[in-house]
Amino acid sequence: MIKNYFKIAFRNLWRHKSFSLINIVGLAVGMTACFLIFMYVRFELSYDKFNQNFSQIHRLNTDIKTPNEVLHWSSASPPMGPTLQADFPEVKANARVFGAGFLVESNNHKFQENNLAFTDPSLLKIFTFPFIHGNPATALKDPFSVVLTEASAKKYFGGTDIVGKTLKLNGKQLVTITGVMQDVPLNSHFNFDMLISSSTMEKMKLIDMNEWGNFSNATYILLPEGYDGLKLQAKLPDFLKKHISEDKRRKGYNYELFIEPLKDVYMDTFRGAPVNGNLRNVYVFSIVAIFILLIACINFVNLTTARSTERAKEVGIRKVIGAGKNQLTTQFLGESIIISMIAFIVSVLLSMLLLPLFNQLAGKIISHNIIEHGYIFILFAIAVAIGFLAGIYPALVLTNFKITTILKGRFTSSVKGIFLRKGLVVVQFTISIVLIVGTIIVYNQLNFMRNQSLGFRTDQMLVLDFSGDSTVQAMSESLKHEFTQVPGVLSASGSGTTPGNGNSVAYSEVESRNGSLVPVNMNLYDVDFDFIPQYGMKIVAGRAFSRDFATDSTKSFVVNETTVKNLGYTSAKDAVGKTFNQWGRKGTIIGVVQDFHFESLQQNVKPLNLRINPHNLGVFTLKIKGGDIPNTLKAVESKWKVLIPQRPFSYYFLDQNFNKQYATEDRFGKLFMYFAVLAIMISCLGLLGLASYSTLQRTREIGIRKVLGATVPGIVNMLSKEFLWLVGIAAIIAFPLAWLGMHSWLKDFAYKINIAWWVFAVAGILAMMIAISTVAFQAIRAALANPVKSLRSE
Amino acid sequence: MNKTEVSESTMIKITDLEKFYRTEEVETIALNKLSIEIKTGEFVAIMGPSGCGKSTLLNILGMLDDPDEGSYVFNGIEVAHFTERKRADLRKHNIGFVFQSFNLIDELTVFENVELPLIYTGVPSSERVKRVEEVLDKMQIMHRRNHYPQQLSGGQQQRVAIARAVVNKPKLILADEPTGNLDSSNGNDVMELLTDLNEQGTTIIMVTHSEHDARYSHRIIRLLDGQSVMENIMI
Repeated sequence: MIKNYFKIAFRNLWRHKSFSLINIVGLAVGMTACFLIFMYVRFELSYDKFNQNFSQIHRLNTDIKTPNEVLHWSSASPPMGPTLQADFPEVKANARVFGAGFLVESNNHKFQENNLAFTDPSLLKIFTFPFIHGNPATALKDPFSVVLTEASAKKYFGGTDIVGKTLKLNGKQLVTITGVMQDVPLNSHFNFDMLISSSTMEKMKLIDMNEWGNFSNATYILLPEGYDGLKLQAKLPDFLKKHISEDKRRKGYNYELFIEPLKDVYMDTFRGAPVNGNLRNVYVFSIVAIFILLIACINFVNLTTARSTERAKEVGIRKVIGAGKNQLTTQFLGESIIISMIAFIVSVLLSMLLLPLFNQLAGKIISHNIIEHGYIFILFAIAVAIGFLAGIYPALVLTNFKITTILKGRFTSSVKGIFLRKGLVVVQFTISIVLIVGTIIVYNQLNFMRNQSLGFRTDQMLVLDFSGDSTVQAMSESLKHEFTQVPGVLSASGSGTTPGNGNSVAYSEVESRNGSLVPVNMNLYDVDFDFIPQYGMKIVAGRAFSRDFATDSTKSFVVNETTVKNLGYTSAKDAVGKTFNQWGRKGTIIGVVQDFHFESLQQNVKPLNLRINPHNLGVFTLKIKGGDIPNTLKAVESKWKVLIPQRPFSYYFLDQNFNKQYATEDRFGKLFMYFAVLAIMISCLGLLGLASYSTLQRTREIGIRKVLGATVPGIVNMLSKEFLWLVGIAAIIAFPLAWLGMHSWLKDFAYKINIAWWVFAVAGILAMMIAISTVAFQAIRAALANPVKSLRSE
Repeated sequence: MNKTEVSESTMIKITDLEKFYRTEEVETIALNKLSIEIKTGEFVAIMGPSGCGKSTLLNILGMLDDPDEGSYVFNGIEVAHFTERKRADLRKHNIGFVFQSFNLIDELTVFENVELPLIYTGVPSSERVKRVEEVLDKMQIMHRRNHYPQQLSGGQQQRVAIARAVVNKPKLILADEPTGNLDSSNGNDVMELLTDLNEQGTTIIMVTHSEHDARYSHRIIRLLDGQSVMENIMI
């Protein structure tokens, strides 16, 4: 019996090649999209699960309450972890991670490494980082010991068997390699190229490990299995009261600690993580995958039920001969499962082919091949399920035909069936149009962000990064002068950071309108005298820093407009001359700079101040001529090698670097677009099948109409109209849905476009045009056919 | 199943059978209180003008359709209001069909078409091959066993259809204008085949427009407006 089913299924597929092709291609493409997204989603949800203690690891987060805001940070202060473990027996272990950057020297090769970490030995106990060489239990015990990842070991020494060898940090500090570990898995929420023992940091006197108010490090704790972190969290207010007495806290500040399970860290966009995912994107893509699959399945249902008239005769005969309903249902389900299996094989090949591209698009390697992790078996199960789900309705429809009607030859598609097919086409196009609108809006927003004036000059700004090297800082003025001598370089300035690259946040006290000193967390830009004019920033009140005023380098502050607004001043002018204390520096506000975007446009501009501080400079920005950038760059590099031979030449362009912040959105937009194209492609494939079938069925009608005098355009119009209607209805349903979806997406951006009406018009017209070109081909062919032929064929 | 009192030799007994077709506005009476009795081993022809209810009657007799009113006793069992499943079960073991338009499945070969009823009645594979070959041989169509229906002439297709109808050794064959699509020579061949089958004991009920074909039968029932108006006994 099964053999018979297979036989008839294959012969049927072969006889109706074009329908089979549409079905298989549609399903295969849908499955491929679905498989790739499935792997992406699985990867996103797999973060940190490689850790054996996954369920027991927790991160310690802090809310810092200042008098005028609450900062939700993902860090804690250095004494918190060890004290927590000492106070609470349920804390089995704690490890602190301090991000660091050093100039690393090995065999006279120098590398500026910015992804290093100081950490406690217990990190290797809490997290699962398998060692290739060395002993994880002791590797980070002693000061000046470091553990390298496999990749950095190979980079410095060309091999991994290097325990006992040394490296030099920042040109002076020798450290010994005590272990080489496997590279940090890609699905880890934090990664590093080298771990340095935390005792090194103490020896180097980089930080006061007993400072309760410095929230600069991540802290992880290990809790017993099954222990609810919230139970510990409930005890933390008392813990803080006990250890941080009023006098140890900054005035008006208060802290609250939170225990966050490791499973939530990667997707925590609220507090953030070094490597951050976005649950919303995971949902969006899961929905898109389901949509695309749905569209492909709808094709299958539509084409199969549309063809039911043809299959009806077979059903009738089989019933007469003795086939039961169950046997027929099994047969048709079997057929659809066979189709889905063929589509599955095609989609496995397609997925393998596209995976490298998809990895590139996703910005990370979500999977090396679809065979790993047993993905293929899960995908196989999904494919069978698709075959089953797509086949069940047509199977039921086909087997429910009444034999006598079929055998009388009076069988036609039921009104209900036609209505359903049209309804499903509407669903397909609704999804497609929503995706088109989404794509346009995502791209508009990206363009808007890229082209928005940021409040400072971004073009032809070459940034040279010396990572705060103190010898460079000491000679910054003369070095800047040297660089401006290079042909093509127009001017130079120094600053601690550049917009888009992060900055310090400093506890400050500023005089408010009523004369009292108000504590404010200020974003801090340490700059030199040339920074403001060179960046083209606009002073709206007071003045910029000037070498003419001796106090400017010690007592003067320039603040942004948001600071002025937050302090309650109605006019920028009113803020000039007010008292300002920050990190031991006491002085006054000398000027107000127009707000500029030092973070991405997703964020509102926050209070910020600039101050002169040559000891905190990290980069030089060179304004260069547009003409011959490569040559200018080469000349600057040669100069660098002469002036700063101790450091590798490291540079970036300000605009490119700033736009890097939108990489996630960029990828999101691209993926969205590709899937929108896929969705509309599969929808059109279905429409093509349905249109050709419907014209085929109306061959006689068309013939009669032509004999009676219908014109070719008239017939094309008649045949196309019926489908265009559906696209029109789809558009009406899609527009509000798309608006709602994209409105909610845009909410994440502080600076955003308004959703314009033309976006919907474009999407609607686009969908309409694609549908017309799909249907018209069939319609024209039918309309041009000789009516004598079509009437004879009856 | 409740056995109804009928004579030993009666295969089919229908009493006051009624069938209506309704559309939204019109109700058509296809069978109007029709009563007929057919004995085992009979060869009966049903004749009448178009729309007289011949095919409706055949469909009901073949359990493809159920009557609205009246009784239908098949081999002593009242089947008038059987469920579809029960009817299908009774049908596949007892009745073979031959149609004017052959109704072969285009995607299956001659052999596979004939084999199909045996598959549905659960006959094991080796037994199936034997029986299909036997019946193809008898119908002189063995040399065409691997061809598809479209590759055969009308006469050959009808032989295949008859082979398929008899392969399960049914007690009753229902033929709906079996020669309607054939030329006279092929038509005669088919009628000879049916006569042979009847002589071997199979009951045959045939709907036909052809007086010539009807002459092969033992008895002609003439229908008009859903009622039997005349019966001719053929001598």
